[in-house]
Amino acid sequence: MAFSRRVFLHTVAAGSAVAVAGMPLAALAATQVKYGGSAWLGHYPAYLAMTEGFLKEAGIEQDWQSFGTSSSRMSAVMSGGVDIACTGIVSALALMARGAKQFSVIAIPENFGRVEGLMVRGGVKSIQELKGKKVGVTFASSAHLLVLDLIAKAGLKPDEVTVLNVPAPELPAAMQAGQIDAAAAWTPQFDAIRKQPGVTVLADDTQFSLYQSNKVTPGPDVLVVRRAFAEKNPEAVKAYLSAYFKATALLRDKPEQAAGPLSKLTNLSTEDQLAAVKGADWYSQAQQAELLKGPYIEGLQKLAELLVSHKQIDKAPTVKEWIDTSFV
Amino acid sequence: MISKPPSRSALLSTSAASIIVFLAVWELICRAGWIDPIFLPPPSAVFAKAMGMAGEGTLIGNVLASGRRVMIGFLAATAVAIPLGIILGTSTYARAAFDPILSFLRPLPSMSWIPLSLLWFGITETQKYSIVFMGTFAPALVYVIEATRNVDPLLIRAAQNLGANRWQVMKEVILPGSLPQILSGMKVILGLAWTCVISAELVAAREGLGFLIMNGKEFFQTEVVVLGMLLISITVLVTDFVFRVLENRVLRWQR
Repeated sequence: MAFSRRVFLHTVAAGSAVAVAGMPLAALAATQVKYGGSAWLGHYPAYLAMTEGFLKEAGIEQDWQSFGTSSSRMSAVMSGGVDIACTGIVSALALMARGAKQFSVIAIPENFGRVEGLMVRGGVKSIQELKGKKVGVTFASSAHLLVLDLIAKAGLKPDEVTVLNVPAPELPAAMQAGQIDAAAAWTPQFDAIRKQPGVTVLADDTQFSLYQSNKVTPGPDVLVVRRAFAEKNPEAVKAYLSAYFKATALLRDKPEQAAGPLSKLTNLSTEDQLAAVKGADWYSQAQQAELLKGPYIEGLQKLAELLVSHKQIDKAPTVKEWIDTSFV
Repeated sequence: MISKPPSRSALLSTSAASIIVFLAVWELICRAGWIDPIFLPPPSAVFAKAMGMAGEGTLIGNVLASGRRVMIGFLAATAVAIPLGIILGTSTYARAAFDPILSFLRPLPSMSWIPLSLLWFGITETQKYSIVFMGTFAPALVYVIEATRNVDPLLIRAAQNLGANRWQVMKEVILPGSLPQILSGMKVILGLAWTCVISAELVAAREGLGFLIMNGKEFFQTEVVVLGMLLISITVLVTDFVFRVLENRVLRWQR
C-alpha cells in the first residue's frame, strides 16, 4: 500500500515537472490586470491587445470590466477594483482636484477630436444663432465642456442658451423627435445624429479653444494605472504598455484588420467600425515621452483651469504631479 | 413599583445627544485621517458646502425643484389611485378586470419608464412628473385597494340592513373605515416619490436634489453627494411631519 502511494506521488510530481517545463514562460509568470473598459473608442487598444494575443505574449492576463461612465470607472480605480483604465480626462481631473493620489497617468492613447462635436438642425449657421435654443448634451462630459467653451467664445451668456442634460444614448432620439435644437455628442452617437436629415455639424473638437494652442480636445482620453498596483508590478505595467502600443500600431497602420475584432465589442457594422477607427489619431509608444512631458500636459493644465472657470471643479490641480513617464 | 415613563423633553434630549455624538464621531474619524475625504467627507465639509450653496442661492432652488416634481407627481398619482382603488376594492368584477394590468405595472421601477416618457413628453417638466407618477401610482393603488378591502364586512352589512344605499355605505362606512390605512400608505408612497425623483432628474434636469447628487458623483464631490442625500432625508422628514399633522386633523374622530 505504502509502495503504491509512493509510486503514485512520484508519478504525479514527475508529470507536473514535465508539464511545467513545457509551458511558455509568459504563462507561468502571467500577471493579472483588471482593466476598466467600455465600447468607447479609447478602449480599442486594450481590447485589441487582449483579443489579438499581444497581452498574452507579454505575460499579462487581462480581466476586462465594463463601466458605463468614466466616473464609475475611476471610482473602481479608487477602490482598488481596477488596476489599469482608460478614462476621459475630466473624471481624472476632478479626482486630481480632490487630491486623490491613488492613480497616475501613464499614456495618451489617441486624439478623437473629429468624432465629437456639436450638431444642429434648422439652418443654424453659427453659435450665436443658438441663442434661445435647446442644446442637449451629457453633463460632466467632454462634449459638455465643448458646448460651454463654444458658448463663451461666441460671447453668449450661459443662460442665453438652454443646455439640457441628456444621457448620450438618448441624444439621437431626442434630436430626431425635435425635442432639442442641437446636440453635442461623441461617436457612435455623433455618427448617428450626423446622419439624420437636415442635421449639420456646427463645430467639432478642433474648434475648442485649447486645441489650436496645445492640441488638447475638451476631454482627451488618458490611460491611468492604480499606483499601488504599479509599485508592486512595475515590470508588468511596462509589459502591458508594450502590448498596448502594438495594438495602437495595428489601429493606425492596419485599420481594416483592427475593425473586425472590434465589431464584437461595439456591435457596429464593419463599415462604421472602420470609420470610427480611422476617425482618431492613434499615438505610438515613441510619441508618449513627448506627449507626457511637452505642451500637451500644459494643455491639460489649462483644461483644468478652464473647468474651474466653468465651475465644473473647485480648484485646478497641478496635473504634472499625476504624470508618470517611467513606464514608457 | 412601576417607574414613571420618561418625559417628552428627556426623549428629545436623548435624540439630540445621539445626533451630536454621531456627528462628532464621524468628524473625528475623518479628521484623524482614518477615512479619505473622497470616500466620506467630514460633516464640517458638508456643512461648509451647504453654506456656500445657500449663499449662491442654489441650495433652495434644488430643494424646491425636486419638491415641486415630487408633489405634482405624487398628488397626480394619489388623485387617480384613491378613487380607482376604492372602486377596485369594493367591486369584484372591476378588480378581476384591472388585476392583470396592475400586476404588470407594479414591479416596474420608475427608471424603466425613462425611455418611453422621453418619447411621450419630450425633455420637459411633464416628463419628470410622469416618472414620479408612474413610480408611485401602482403602489398607491395597491395600498388603497387593501385599505378598502380591510373594512370590516360586518359594518357594511349592518349599514345595508339599516337601509343605507350604495353611496351611503361608501360615504359613511367604507371611506371612514379605510381612511386611516390609506393615509398611512400615502406616507410611505411620499417617501417612494422621493426615490423616483432621483430617476426623473437623471435626464434633462438642470436642478434638483437628484441632479445635485448625480452631478456631484460625476465630479467626485462627495460632500455634494452627502448634502443631497441629507437634504432628501430632511425634506422627507418635514413632509412626513406635515402629513402627520394633517392625519391628526382628518382622523380626529378616531382618537
